[in-house]
Amino acid sequence: MDFPSTQFVPSRAMGTYEPIHQIGMWGENFKSISNPNISASVIVDVANKLENESETTSHEMLVPSSKHDQEASKPFDKIQRRLAQNREAARKSRLRKKAYVQQLENSRLKLIQLEQELERSRQQGLYVGGGLEAGHLGISGAVNSGIAAFEMGYERWMEEQNKQICELRSALNAQISEIELRILVESGMSHYFELFRMKSSVAKADVFYVMSGKWKTSAERFFAWIGGFRPSELLKVLVPQIDPLTDQQILDVCNLKQSCQQAEDALSQGMEKLRETVSATLASGQMGQGTYVPQVAMAMEKLEALVCFVNQADHLRQETLQQMSYILTTRQAARGLLALGEYIHRLQALSNLWANHPREPA
Amino acid sequence: MQQAIPYKSWPLPCVNASSRPASSTAVPPRTGKSNGGKDVLEIVSENAVIVFSREGCCMSHVVRRLLLALGVNPAVCEIDEKDEAGVLSELGMMSREKGKTVQFPAVFIGGRMFGGLDKVMATHISGELVPVLKDAGALWL
Repeated sequence: MDFPSTQFVPSRAMGTYEPIHQIGMWGENFKSISNPNISASVIVDVANKLENESETTSHEMLVPSSKHDQEASKPFDKIQRRLAQNREAARKSRLRKKAYVQQLENSRLKLIQLEQELERSRQQGLYVGGGLEAGHLGISGAVNSGIAAFEMGYERWMEEQNKQICELRSALNAQISEIELRILVESGMSHYFELFRMKSSVAKADVFYVMSGKWKTSAERFFAWIGGFRPSELLKVLVPQIDPLTDQQILDVCNLKQSCQQAEDALSQGMEKLRETVSATLASGQMGQGTYVPQVAMAMEKLEALVCFVNQADHLRQETLQQMSYILTTRQAARGLLALGEYIHRLQALSNLWANHPREPA
Repeated sequence: MQQAIPYKSWPLPCVNASSRPASSTAVPPRTGKSNGGKDVLEIVSENAVIVFSREGCCMSHVVRRLLLALGVNPAVCEIDEKDEAGVLSELGMMSREKGKTVQFPAVFIGGRMFGGLDKVMATHISGELVPVLKDAGALWL
């Protein structure tokens, strides 16, 4: 993909003769800068544009050699057209370079900002008087990139989820075989298990991120219990959608609901004990002198248990899903998964509606 | 299932019989062996259900609350930090799955190692936990 030097020097300096490699490296640099605000999709977009346009221009570059042989016999228009296309390609190339440089400048600024924040919080250490902002303490490159990776992963997960929901819907309306339906159900379940794995991973980086449910819409967060749905609540929503059930199934589902409830209560009580423990540890000793490093350090140790709680809650969700798949027939399980997907969509639509609903100014 | 090779079981200062009413939770008497301290083997064989855990561990609280909700009053043995490693390795030896590392909280049912919180939750959801508890005599219909 060689460009003639006269018109494409700027592009060459930018290295567009190896666009994919450059952008790839640029992507790696971003990961280490760990800037969550520059989305990776922008990087991919620019890379794609470069790839597409390089291909068209390189194709055009192959033509001139044959053109020279027959120049005298070619109409004047074709030469003019060729020149106009070259000008256009050069213009596009300059615009791409401008966009690239702009992105670089933005990320440089963000990097300086982050470095300053980090320096500030390092100097302050644990002795911060008054007004502690959550953003200053404990933000490190590893945490940010863990969260950024999760958010990207969740976006992909949601896209795949929507695809699967559509497939389930058309499969249930059509006459597909039991085996094919079973495959769809199994992939639906695996897809949820994949989400639990992702959450477990990001919980190690920042458990408060998982507890906050930041990646979800507001209505979803409203129903959250330890970083996700309450299994017993979901059962209440979904079981009516799976009618009719046999008597044995009704009994099994009833038992499952009760077991979920008991497990949830046990976990909630554990959480309450954790809160009491952390609070007691933090408040131990005299307050008022402004020195509290040992208390804060001890409380942080206790707080590590929160990661266990998040994992146990997701484990409960997984086991409940698994148990439902044993109780239900394939068709019922498919209807259940479809209903669950649509329930989440409705929650997201509610969040959207709420956000856009006009309200009286304060 | 007894060990073929005789060994010395880890001595523990704590003891809490499962026949006590549900309101009392484990408070290990810190009086040491001289006051009738038992060892791990004894405690495991004497109690239908026993939970070994660290002091003040919230996950063991979860296990306890769950078992209580089922009508079981588990014996609880809270292990000091200094005894932790020794007790864990002995529990590991007693476990049927010899390769797995034992973690706190560790639940023993009917004198045998049952598992941790994961296992308890999974078997509870699948409905297998209650029959196991009944078999061990921890639950009566």
